[in-house]
Amino acid sequence: MKENLQKTIEKILYSVEKPGRYVGGELNQVVKDWDSVALHWCLIFPDIYDLGQANLGLAMLYQVLNDQEWIAAERSFTPWVDMEAALREHEIPLFSLENKRALREFDILGITLPYESIYTNVLNTFDLAGINVLASQRTEEDPLLIAGGQACFNPEPMADFIDAFVIGEGEEVTLDVSRVYREWKAAGLSKAELLLALAHLPGIYVPSLYDISYHPDGTIAAIDPKHPEAPSSITKRIVAVLPPHPSKFLVPNIEIVHDRMSVEIMRGCTRGCRFCHAGMVNRPVRQRSVDEIIPVIECGLAATGFDEVGMLSLSSSDHTEILQLVRQVHDNFQDRTLSVSLPSLRIESFSLDLMDELKELKPGGGFTLAPEAATERMRAVINKPLDDEEFYQTVAKIFENGWRSLKLYYMIGLPTETMEDVEAILQAGIKVQQIGRQLVGKSVKIHLGIASLIPKPHTPFQWLPVENPESIQEKLDYLKAGTRKSGIKMSYNIPESTLLESWLSRGDRRLGAVIMSAWRNGAKFDAWNERDNLQLWRNAFAENQLNPDFYAYRERNLDEILPWEHIDIGVSKRFLQRDYQWSLQGRTRQDCRNVCFSCGILDTFGDQRPPETICYWGCP
Amino acid sequence: MSDQPFRVRARYAKFGNLRFIGHLDTQRLFERALRRSRLPIRYTQGFSKHIRLNLASALPLGFISFAEMLDFWLNEPVDSLEILTRLQEALPAELRILELFPVSNALPSLQASLLSSDYKITLPEELMLESFQQKLEELISQPEIPITRRNKVVDYKPLIHEHPLLSDDSGMLTLEIRLSSTPQRNARPDDLLVRLGVDPADCVIERIRLNFSIEE
Repeated sequence: MKENLQKTIEKILYSVEKPGRYVGGELNQVVKDWDSVALHWCLIFPDIYDLGQANLGLAMLYQVLNDQEWIAAERSFTPWVDMEAALREHEIPLFSLENKRALREFDILGITLPYESIYTNVLNTFDLAGINVLASQRTEEDPLLIAGGQACFNPEPMADFIDAFVIGEGEEVTLDVSRVYREWKAAGLSKAELLLALAHLPGIYVPSLYDISYHPDGTIAAIDPKHPEAPSSITKRIVAVLPPHPSKFLVPNIEIVHDRMSVEIMRGCTRGCRFCHAGMVNRPVRQRSVDEIIPVIECGLAATGFDEVGMLSLSSSDHTEILQLVRQVHDNFQDRTLSVSLPSLRIESFSLDLMDELKELKPGGGFTLAPEAATERMRAVINKPLDDEEFYQTVAKIFENGWRSLKLYYMIGLPTETMEDVEAILQAGIKVQQIGRQLVGKSVKIHLGIASLIPKPHTPFQWLPVENPESIQEKLDYLKAGTRKSGIKMSYNIPESTLLESWLSRGDRRLGAVIMSAWRNGAKFDAWNERDNLQLWRNAFAENQLNPDFYAYRERNLDEILPWEHIDIGVSKRFLQRDYQWSLQGRTRQDCRNVCFSCGILDTFGDQRPPETICYWGCP
Repeated sequence: MSDQPFRVRARYAKFGNLRFIGHLDTQRLFERALRRSRLPIRYTQGFSKHIRLNLASALPLGFISFAEMLDFWLNEPVDSLEILTRLQEALPAELRILELFPVSNALPSLQASLLSSDYKITLPEELMLESFQQKLEELISQPEIPITRRNKVVDYKPLIHEHPLLSDDSGMLTLEIRLSSTPQRNARPDDLLVRLGVDPADCVIERIRLNFSIEE
């Protein structure tokens, strides 16, 4: 970066809140000599540093890419509004934290799309970088803009803005993309040829190579490849064996959310909860062994000095060696003041022994359980079966082991739900409180977290309408009144705050114009401004003659072509259809580690399956 | 573990990107570095243990310094050079330990014995020596120098400890100034600059010395 530009930036930094967000310089940051590498990636998390830096996916890709001598991967985040204003005022293009290079100077920009409320930030970030937000308007000189992350399993709403999507896991395909790019650059070919070469890579979706046509009623008539070489369907990428876990974590200099070391102990989940996007799109289950995890924690703590470790997975207590793992963490690290968090414990799969170990590791903290529904009937509908008796026994054990605070997560707006099911949530809260009062006394704290269902793509609930906000509000009001009377704490989302997610998560390509309008009208940081931005979004729909209710409140036909029809997660549509029907009949499926229900994963990826000694897969 | 804690004092520099890291974050940064160093660090006793660590004075955001001081405690004596090496390895490059030595547990805390700080300010290039000098002399000859910070008015007159030294080093105007740094009476050079009509963001402000009541 030119010296006067550097000076201007330094001057700006005096005037903004938390300038540490924009300077880099953290321990374990990788700064390579710009001219010494052949390929420059900038990894972008389109939210502020404080939120993005903790992202484990970002850390993984940062290490995977920087481990290559010929690649430099730097980072950039969306500046907060004060910094944005200063950058625009001084006409400084958004830059990377490591070498402070303008994003335009990079070969590839890798954008993380973890959730929908980040979409307008993506546009804003491109704009701040001086890059045209529309892929079709960009020139041969612009960097390649490639996106990945959990929201990309329905890439269509962002198809106008992104050159290529990574569908699935990024650790290997990111290097494939790098090699294709290097060869393309050496050959001096056109951007169109780069995109076509990328479309040949398994797991890469190039949206500009597809035409979408619609029926008069707004549903999709066809998704057609424009080019003979573009695959008609894009199968997600998986890593058959989880690659070595990153351990040279970057240590933020300023306080961020989740200021701790994160270790992914397992990927995927075999439980098959019907509302759960992550559980469907991250199959098959693969886990890391205790022998692999312990040295990662050892190295990670030595390299970072963190005093907290988060062991991440979708269902920690389903890890086959969870008890050994927790014991060994306890034995190896008890001389340090280390706290361990183990989120997502399944009520039926954690034992008394595990509870004992946890007590040793984290005294005083609260305990969290997620029954999700309070009647056995409703739990069958969502396929999260659990005996009431077993549930209350577990609750009692938690209190007997000394915990004084318990948080319970429930969902409302589920299919076939009646007021009876909602009342049962309050009753469960009260009963848990009574148990707690008997066992630990008056000081016991019960907290209900209430979420409303947003049906997600690639789940058995993908055809369902979102429940209307009036009815959700009624249920919330009932629970609010009841919990207040009983002295139970309750947190919830107001219906308006989930609307954006309900429109975008199952949106089609036409929503690109809506996202564009919303951003032009000033929408950004939508997750932070849920209520304030809503009118901007409604106007954006109107400007483009689209009805948001079509996306949120419409029940889809089971044979309708869905906007993500061409994205193959390995779980077949037939399986999802059948599972949806089972749901309405109240039929459950057990943990699919015990019996295979032929969801399609083994048909798609079975040939990649390694021997169990190399990596445990959850499939039978 | 021996009962007598081993107290270590270090002087360090904070510069480059790290000058945009605030005081509390700097403190956390040292805590993590000490944990990484695998030195026999001393924790406070009690239910919620934390590392015993004591920074002499908060360095305002954006200032650079080669004169910051910190005390921390170990469970047992360790050779100074080894502590320095291990701690430095655990720190980001723009926090540098300049010297390090054991001190007696009987000494008062750094904060309690800090009197004042010396700052060296590189002024903006476009500033004219004569007119600035005149402004400065005028200001410090006032009987009172009220300066407002966060809606509180403080008289800087008694907080300016020596006559500021303005010099022209081949076209580079620098101002050296000694200001009170006690917890009760802490003066900031950037506030003084604003009072003199200079934007602190156009200057390089460096803390060059901390002055204590008890000299080592």
